Amino acid sequence: MSQQLLRDSPGPAADAAGAPDPGREKAGDPAAGAVQTSAPAAVGLEPAAHPAVARLARTARALLKSPGLVLAVLVIAVVILWAVIPGAFTHWPPDTGVPSARLKPPSAEHWFGTDSLGRDLFSRVVHGSATSLAATAVAVAVGLVAGSLLGLLAGFLRGWVDDAIMRVMDVLLAIPSLLLSLALITVLGFGTVNIAIAVGIASVANFARIMRAESLRVGSAVYVEAARSSGVRWHGILLRHVLPNAAGPVLALSALEFGMAVLSISSLSFLGFGAPPPAAEWGSLVAGGRDYLVAAWWLVTLPGLVIAAVVLATNRISHAFQDPERNRT
Amino acid sequence: MIRYVGRRLLQGAFVLWAAYTVSFLILYLLPGDAVSIMASGDEQNAVDPALVAKLRSEYGLDRPLHEQYVIALFKALQLDFGVSIKNGVAATQAVGEVLPETIKLAAAGFALAVLLGSALAIAASFSRNRWVRQLVAALPPLGIAVPTFWIGLLLLQFFSFRLRLFPALGNDGAQSLVLPALTLAIPTSAVIAQLLTRSLHQTLGEPYIEQIRAKGASDALIHFGHALRNAAIPTLTMLGILVGNLLAGAVVSETVFSRTGIGRLTVTAVNSRDIPVVQTLVVLAAAIFVITSLVVDLIYPLVDPRINTAARATA
Amino acid sequence: MTRATQPRLNRPRSLPAGPLRRPAAVVGLLGTAALLLSACGGGADAGTQQSADATPVSGGNLNFALSVDRGCIDPQQVGNNDAIAVARQTVASLTSQDPKSGEIVPWLAEKFESNADATSFTFTLRTGATFADGTAIDAASVKTNFEAIKALGAKASLGSTYLSDVSAITVKDPQTVVVDFSKPNAQFLQATSTFTLGLLSPSSASLSEADRCAGKFSGSGPFSVKSYAVDKEAVLERRAGYSWPASTNTNKGEAYLDTVTFKIIPEAGNRTGSLQSGQIDATAAISAADITLFNGNGFWNETRANPGVVYNLYPNESTPKLKETAVRQAISKAINREEITTTLLTEKDQPAKGVLSHTTPYFKDLSGLLAHDPDGARKLLEDAGWKEGADGVREKNGEKLAFKVTYWQSPKEVLELVQQQLKAVGVDLQLKFTTIADVTAAQAGKDYDFSYGNLTRSDPDVLRTVFASTTARGGSNLREKLPVDDTLGEQAAALDKDARQKLVDQGQEALIKDAHSIPLYELSTTISANEKVHGLAFEASSRLDFYDAWLSQ
Repeated sequence: MSQQLLRDSPGPAADAAGAPDPGREKAGDPAAGAVQTSAPAAVGLEPAAHPAVARLARTARALLKSPGLVLAVLVIAVVILWAVIPGAFTHWPPDTGVPSARLKPPSAEHWFGTDSLGRDLFSRVVHGSATSLAATAVAVAVGLVAGSLLGLLAGFLRGWVDDAIMRVMDVLLAIPSLLLSLALITVLGFGTVNIAIAVGIASVANFARIMRAESLRVGSAVYVEAARSSGVRWHGILLRHVLPNAAGPVLALSALEFGMAVLSISSLSFLGFGAPPPAAEWGSLVAGGRDYLVAAWWLVTLPGLVIAAVVLATNRISHAFQDPERNRT
Repeated sequence: MIRYVGRRLLQGAFVLWAAYTVSFLILYLLPGDAVSIMASGDEQNAVDPALVAKLRSEYGLDRPLHEQYVIALFKALQLDFGVSIKNGVAATQAVGEVLPETIKLAAAGFALAVLLGSALAIAASFSRNRWVRQLVAALPPLGIAVPTFWIGLLLLQFFSFRLRLFPALGNDGAQSLVLPALTLAIPTSAVIAQLLTRSLHQTLGEPYIEQIRAKGASDALIHFGHALRNAAIPTLTMLGILVGNLLAGAVVSETVFSRTGIGRLTVTAVNSRDIPVVQTLVVLAAAIFVITSLVVDLIYPLVDPRINTAARATA
Repeated sequence: MTRATQPRLNRPRSLPAGPLRRPAAVVGLLGTAALLLSACGGGADAGTQQSADATPVSGGNLNFALSVDRGCIDPQQVGNNDAIAVARQTVASLTSQDPKSGEIVPWLAEKFESNADATSFTFTLRTGATFADGTAIDAASVKTNFEAIKALGAKASLGSTYLSDVSAITVKDPQTVVVDFSKPNAQFLQATSTFTLGLLSPSSASLSEADRCAGKFSGSGPFSVKSYAVDKEAVLERRAGYSWPASTNTNKGEAYLDTVTFKIIPEAGNRTGSLQSGQIDATAAISAADITLFNGNGFWNETRANPGVVYNLYPNESTPKLKETAVRQAISKAINREEITTTLLTEKDQPAKGVLSHTTPYFKDLSGLLAHDPDGARKLLEDAGWKEGADGVREKNGEKLAFKVTYWQSPKEVLELVQQQLKAVGVDLQLKFTTIADVTAAQAGKDYDFSYGNLTRSDPDVLRTVFASTTARGGSNLREKLPVDDTLGEQAAALDKDARQKLVDQGQEALIKDAHSIPLYELSTTISANEKVHGLAFEASSRLDFYDAWLSQ
């Protein structure tokens, strides 16, 4: 009992609110999680009992019905293309500028204007997307892999392993993730890879909770009990039953965490812990522009707009993942 | 009730202990010798070996691991988290000195967020006009997606430089609190708006509301007299997380507006690898979370008649 | 020279940054102290200058923005310019240096002299001067101070180097103190004019380092510390009864300002905004992009280059690639110094014309050796066997012509521009912009190809400090001993002005020709202030002096 309460301490009322279970309802809301803290997602995102495939199919159908979602997917697609084939979107080099053409406002020639060294800002945003997206992917992958492993261990082995792991996760949830990332950076040092790892570690607890809940749920299902009693080994059960069933909720969380990671990484870059010059990570582009608030408004405004668009789009998509019925809004 | 409170206090103490332990493990034991990092933090020349040795014995890092930990924990129990490497004052003092500034900012930010968030939620559920509803519903996701530092810079650019309405420096009286607090409030208000809209929607669908409506109560009475109060309760449960958000937001807001506080202290501490201060801040954040959660748990039964403590304690 | 001549303060140009490297400020002996500053200096810039003709009035608080606070305002411990701006006002020094002539003049010591080989210095103190706690400033207190500075060791990063060779400090009588050195120390008189050898009351010497940092000391200057909240603000208040100014000041009595409030404002945009809105009255940290906003329109700017070694890329010659003279020379030729200042700095900033900046005594214009010559650079590299690879970066025997530099100095775009310029000749300069802590670690581990920085000091001996392989640090080049080290050593001992000039010129030329020094631009400081502020000026070592400053009502 005490264990149970403790586990729920990050969202104290998750189990307390009883009847309509507002805790669960809230937590399922991607936006609440996306704000930045890992905790909301941790409270809930209770697995919907649908296999991943059906979920995807529904998502695809929903896509067609929702123009907002289509737009979101388009935004993400474009940004991914920026990262993969930047040359197709801009002919300006990202790192070499024309000093005499410095601080030019946006124009047909320079869509986002130029910076203090006369570099084309749009080109820097386009080329920077590779760094930003890669860092985000690393962060999500770290959280996904480490968190899932821990959650799986906890849910599968139960007993004291479960207790130990989940209590550590509770502690991680008690610390705002940005602060946790900063503490990790203190030790890991600066740089894009390090901030990606720090952001990833800060999201481990969310993944661990989902994975644990899933493996507990699947592990006690009748057909798994049956498989177990008919002599299927533990790794067989893991591979054949637990993982496929847990994939859906975990992927949904990944989409959500992706948007959060974009925000966290750009925040940490903004604070100056990110990529070295002349790399053009989005957050550091905004940071670089803040000395020119008076002289060149575009340096801060436009890269920030790109970040906001990407986060908005991923949140919209993860929303669709979790709750297809709500897509029509 | 007393037993319940006692248990929650114990749990809180456990989380704090664990937060301390986890931060100790991370900060003092990960690769990158803490002392060398600290000793190199100052001035121009090479790491001074004498200083390293002195720090090493000062922090007890020349002892075996478990001993180090026990000593550090014992000191931490007396609120001694070591000395800031930046200026040699106690880390707790360094944090304590700027904490009031952040509390002011967070309080103002939170008040603004509640105001904005509730206004949005009410507008979303109250309005008969479908377009207004949709427009209002679109705002919270936007508020959540925009980076806090960007909001801050845009507010600065527009209200400070363009319109000259508010000062650019965030540390100079009540007027200068407006922009930093607004920066903090926008993402938080978006969360509140979403939570409140959701639970307002739910509450409005409950049978007792139908009964009230059948008795001829006006829309306004239903919203403000009944539904809002009940809908606010689930939002209350998120308080711990919202406060955590405010803390994290303060890091950015205080940086953007050059405002003193624990947010900016965090950034300078990380920059100068001031490990004692970083650890103090981490434990402080955990403590704030624990206390908020505890308070919410304790007042929850008071505001929500549907729950009583006994039921929870045996849940 | 067309530039203003007053001394000027060493500071990072825009972003918050840590201490500038500025070890000793040095000038020669009595006879040679009045040096060449006058050759390059002159009047202030016309147009935006503060008006000097009005009659000063007493009273008021001046708000001044600093960009960074490292948590210490003890004059004997601090080394970065923002902290110095606060600390300088709290102490008086034995001597003062004339910003125009570079000459050493009386302050607390009404008379001073040295023996012929500059190993012994005698100071005769004026009477009537007191510390803020009421005790008299006498010979014994000078001894206590200097011994305390030596005891601080590395914590007194500047002062302890000035005093490192002290063999004895003798109190002859209450007003006379003699400082003896174990070897000739021509720089010492100028050192006594700096804030770091400024005097604190003897009781302050026994305070803990942390308490002194926190401003709990009693000083000897025209202001004392009223309050200090780290990373927020430091408030100084006028010292009642102060009447022992340096002869270089126009004010002769108490300071005009009631208080000076130093606000810590890390963000450049916030500093610009607060100066515009009147939240602050002045600052020396407006970013280059915004500085023209304060040319007139109710404001004024005043700029001066820092004396000493200019911003340099220092090649680490213990690495095989940078041991090749041709590679270093090519890199120096590939740099377009003019483009750096015109693109990223203010119109008053100047490209490097030598290793020393033009406000340094014994400066010589060597810009002929620093011309932008990318073709020459390419030829040198081709001849040395560095051929362009597929990615445009040159290589030899499978090794890329790529170099790492770790730095924290602002504006960070300077090296990004240099990176571009070097890329044009096939050299890959890899930048890591980070914190001072990281830079220090990299330098301690000798894990870099180039280091970056400047060193402010108003004496050419700074060349020896930075470059000589014979110093304790081994010099910035980490190379073996070369003839130029002897030249640099000789100039430090040269007492004759012409002989010294010759040696300094010879040393500078050798450093540039073989590209041990790759100079970029002269660090400068600009005070930006609103019209109400008068008399705020640079002192000789380029630190701000608030003693003469006043506010019109």
